[in-house]
Amino acid sequence: MHVSYGRQLVRSGFGRTGLAIFGLLAVVALVCPFLVRDPHLQTVQVLEAPSAAHLLGTNDVGQDLLARLLCGARTSVLVALCAGAASTFIAAVVGVSAGLIGGLYEKVVMRLVDALLVIPAILVLILVAAYVEPTMWGLILLISALQWQGGARIVRAQTLSLKERAHVSAAKTFGAGGLHVACRHVLPDLAPILVVSFVHRARRAVFMAAGLAFIGIADPTMVSWGTMIRHALDFYYLPAWKWWLLPPGICLSLLILSFLFMGHSLEKAMDPRLRDA
Amino acid sequence: MWGLTLKKIVALAVGAILCLGSFLLWTGSSSDTYTIADSTGDWGYPTPYGMYPRGPGYVRMSLVFDTLVWKDRDGLVPALATDWDYLEDRNAWEFTLREDLTWHDGARLTAEDVAFTFRYIQDHPWVWADASLIDRVQDVNERKVRISLSRPYAPFLTNIAGSVPILPRHIWESVEDPEQFRGQKALVGSGPYRLADYNKAQGTYLYEAYNDYYLGKPAVKRLRFVKLSQEIAPVALRQGDVNFSRVPTETAEGLEQSGMEVEEQPPQWAAKLLINYYNEPLGRKRFRQALACAIDRQQIVDIILRGHGIPGSPGLIPPSNEFWHNPDAGGEKHNPERARRLLEGLGYERGPDGYYRKDGRELSFNILCSSQTSRQFGRLAELLKQQFEKVGIRLNVRAQESKTLDARLSSWDFELAISGHGGLGGDPEILNKMILGKSFNSVRYRENEELVRLLKGQIREMDRQERQEMVYRIQEIYAEEMPAVTLYHPRWYWVHDGSVDLYHSPGGMAIGIPLPLNKLSFVDPKAR
Amino acid sequence: MKSRLLNYGIAFLVILCLNFLLPRLMPGDPLQAIYGDEALLQMTAETKAEITARFGLDQPVWKQFGNYLWRLAQGDLGYSFYHKAAVSEVIAAHLPWTLLLVGSGLVLATLAGIALGIESGWRRGSALDRGLLTFLMSASGFPSFFLGILLLLLFGVTLGWLPLQGARTAYGGLSGLPLVVDVLEHLVLPAGTLLLAFLPGMYLLTRNSTVTVRGEPYILTARAKGLPDWKVRYHHGARTAMLPVVTATGLLFASRMITGALFVEIVFSYPGMGSLIHNSLIARDYPVLQGTLFVTTVLVLATNFGVDLLYRSLDPRVKDAR
Repeated sequence: MHVSYGRQLVRSGFGRTGLAIFGLLAVVALVCPFLVRDPHLQTVQVLEAPSAAHLLGTNDVGQDLLARLLCGARTSVLVALCAGAASTFIAAVVGVSAGLIGGLYEKVVMRLVDALLVIPAILVLILVAAYVEPTMWGLILLISALQWQGGARIVRAQTLSLKERAHVSAAKTFGAGGLHVACRHVLPDLAPILVVSFVHRARRAVFMAAGLAFIGIADPTMVSWGTMIRHALDFYYLPAWKWWLLPPGICLSLLILSFLFMGHSLEKAMDPRLRDA
Repeated sequence: MWGLTLKKIVALAVGAILCLGSFLLWTGSSSDTYTIADSTGDWGYPTPYGMYPRGPGYVRMSLVFDTLVWKDRDGLVPALATDWDYLEDRNAWEFTLREDLTWHDGARLTAEDVAFTFRYIQDHPWVWADASLIDRVQDVNERKVRISLSRPYAPFLTNIAGSVPILPRHIWESVEDPEQFRGQKALVGSGPYRLADYNKAQGTYLYEAYNDYYLGKPAVKRLRFVKLSQEIAPVALRQGDVNFSRVPTETAEGLEQSGMEVEEQPPQWAAKLLINYYNEPLGRKRFRQALACAIDRQQIVDIILRGHGIPGSPGLIPPSNEFWHNPDAGGEKHNPERARRLLEGLGYERGPDGYYRKDGRELSFNILCSSQTSRQFGRLAELLKQQFEKVGIRLNVRAQESKTLDARLSSWDFELAISGHGGLGGDPEILNKMILGKSFNSVRYRENEELVRLLKGQIREMDRQERQEMVYRIQEIYAEEMPAVTLYHPRWYWVHDGSVDLYHSPGGMAIGIPLPLNKLSFVDPKAR
Repeated sequence: MKSRLLNYGIAFLVILCLNFLLPRLMPGDPLQAIYGDEALLQMTAETKAEITARFGLDQPVWKQFGNYLWRLAQGDLGYSFYHKAAVSEVIAAHLPWTLLLVGSGLVLATLAGIALGIESGWRRGSALDRGLLTFLMSASGFPSFFLGILLLLLFGVTLGWLPLQGARTAYGGLSGLPLVVDVLEHLVLPAGTLLLAFLPGMYLLTRNSTVTVRGEPYILTARAKGLPDWKVRYHHGARTAMLPVVTATGLLFASRMITGALFVEIVFSYPGMGSLIHNSLIARDYPVLQGTLFVTTVLVLATNFGVDLLYRSLDPRVKDAR
């Protein structure tokens, strides 16, 4: 159980690729405001093909597509990390508390989790977003609220098995309180599961945010890959789709893929049957 | 070695694709049918009370129901009436009907039907006619009708006589609920076409020619309206599946080069920056002038319309409305320097961040725009924000749902807003609607006495030259007072295969509908 | 069993409450929030008063909720002023297309996924396996709507082989066989998108079960008997152990595919529930939006539940996947 996950990640081909792609996109997201011109500036050079002035051309209001592409990275990476972290955090809190406290609390909470799990998140997201029209942070909050259930079950299961471990019982014998047990003894061993859960949630969050932007519920002033794809699709009869539609779609897919690969290699590390010889 | 299953699946897939491919050559349209594509599809049941009160709805109804007068490519022409006369001393119009007019069910169309129609719309208001205008209607004899008005009304011929569809008395006299009236009887009209099929869900209409039409047997036997999105239209046009459609602006040129005919829509729609002049400092004319100087209308046309349109007319009426447009109406040109001077003259000082301030408060406004249907407006608001920033005014863009926006406009709960409307290609009655009218789109501006007086007067002025002078002066005052800034007039493109000669009537059909779908084109496709 | 039912029951209740509360929590005119934009444009003052009274919009919330549940039980999903028809009518016109799309996508993805998964699982570690795994894993990174767009651009726009939009040719008049062909033509790209979107998932699940089954003793026996490879795989391997699991795998994705189909429909303007949701969002036609989401959610829940039942009856050894 104490395989070094970092090492597994780097060793596996999938893991390396995933890490590399994500790293690249994260760096781009960080430095984008310094690299490129203003993505919101509307100019008269509308629907232009790639040129020296605009490396990826311009959209229908003359905004530089490269700038929008790179700043879209910022939005997507931010949503991925924050929504992933938030939902994993909630899952951890709920799962650990349910596992440790037990009794009626556990029963009620797990019943709620099971019930919420069957609800299709994306539909609820559309319904709520149609009324509320969230900003980026609102979106992150909303996505986290609908994503934590998946992780909660796994965390609870793991907590239950950990509860019986020697060091946990020992700590209890010494009079350690619940919170102390949770933080010092249970949580560290949960780390690998939480990391995997985080990767999965982040991936789903990217997809959902982009999907919502594509439908048109996201904040229109936010630069997002989903919104770019949607606007570009309106002009599919022009050759502009090559430099307007494809890049954000490909970048979006790459981001999702990076999480997928990383998740896959981490899972393999945890399940010996799937591990490479 | 691949598994057997895999091979089977691949073979099946290839086979299916080949089968489908061989059917791709199928076409479905007959050469007798003229197909018109429209992106909305359903415009209501084509009776006078069932149609949606918009241009396309009216067009579909007008194929079945005729009016007293109509328009062709040059102007007013006889329709049901061959002669008309204005009796000045009585403020009444007299119309002489054609001989041997028949309804689709064979009954004779006489002056009784006309008189009945105008009385009926007084009891059951028809959406585009102000029934209070009509004082009395009299069928003088079998073919002559006299319509007495309650007050002088300059646009009577186009907006009433040329718009109100005549109803068959023997059918409608017993109809209590005209909006719900459906069926064969409801569709009995006197027009060149009869409705053969209407599918609301699919948004399709099918019309068949009425061979006993008084102008002769219609040359186009069947008319079909289908629902098709604008983006697909160019493909459908090229393949010959559709004869006529509106197309996205960028595709018009390519289609023209392929041999299609392009009807350019003379711009008659306007996007406006609405200003709440009840607010300080927007209430000051000088301030509004500063705002206008900050706006670069040409840049807006180049970016938002991608060049397909013209900068807004300060007097509201666009140049394409040749007779009524005042080319010397005035208005502010794009001049950031002047804008800054005006602001400083009003006591504003430029802060270190570039924005103007007065009494410690930054000069900033909320600009409202609709968040949905017209994505254009959202981007327009962003562009205005960019332009105002250069001058030193901050704009905060607030996207609203359209009904919230309309409600806020109605109750003056806004500072700046973007809105738009059409109808500017026809009679200048539209000026009254948009300056004095109560709708949320109107500027409801009564501050200038001369303007109000002229507006009320021009509607009653029966002399065309006099009226033109008044309308010119109205535009001048409007441009100077600037209760709203006209931003742009977009240009639209209609493409067809040339098999029928289509045109825009001067001032549009009926009350000013700018669609080149005049029923006369289908009756006799050669130029009239 | 009972606990599963309870889960679905609670979920259903949550959805009901959400549907009911959201429009009423919004600031502004509840009439507008409930009926959408077009309503206010068309309603006269009398109608507004009548509707307010009839639906008890001025009554306490719990009474309104009771009213709402009662109407829902009768199948009354409300009235759309935009479509000028009952919401249930509008939905009934669009639902069959979604079912057609999801059904065909399901069949395609299941068949292809099973076939590829079995082949890959049997030759685990081989070049084919690694290649397929890498390729399909990479494909799964593409969101369904982007896949749809790619197919649209390639086959519709660039090559012009297949129609770009809709379920049928707009200027119809087709019936009988040509109609069927027309519908199939329009179905190819959207169903193909669903196929590509869900193929990786099916493939992986099948591959993993195949890998697990491969080591079983009866397989070894069959091999020892000298049976040809494909017989071992499909007759012995597939039929006895994998087929139940693998069919259930296909159904597992049914509910996910319904939501996946929503995006695909938007890309291709396929007149199913997805397009309906999209258009009602644009028009802010809340009754239709609510009704559609409600019906879709219930559909997903029902499918999930059905699959759960099926799964257990087909293979009692399998515990709940969650």
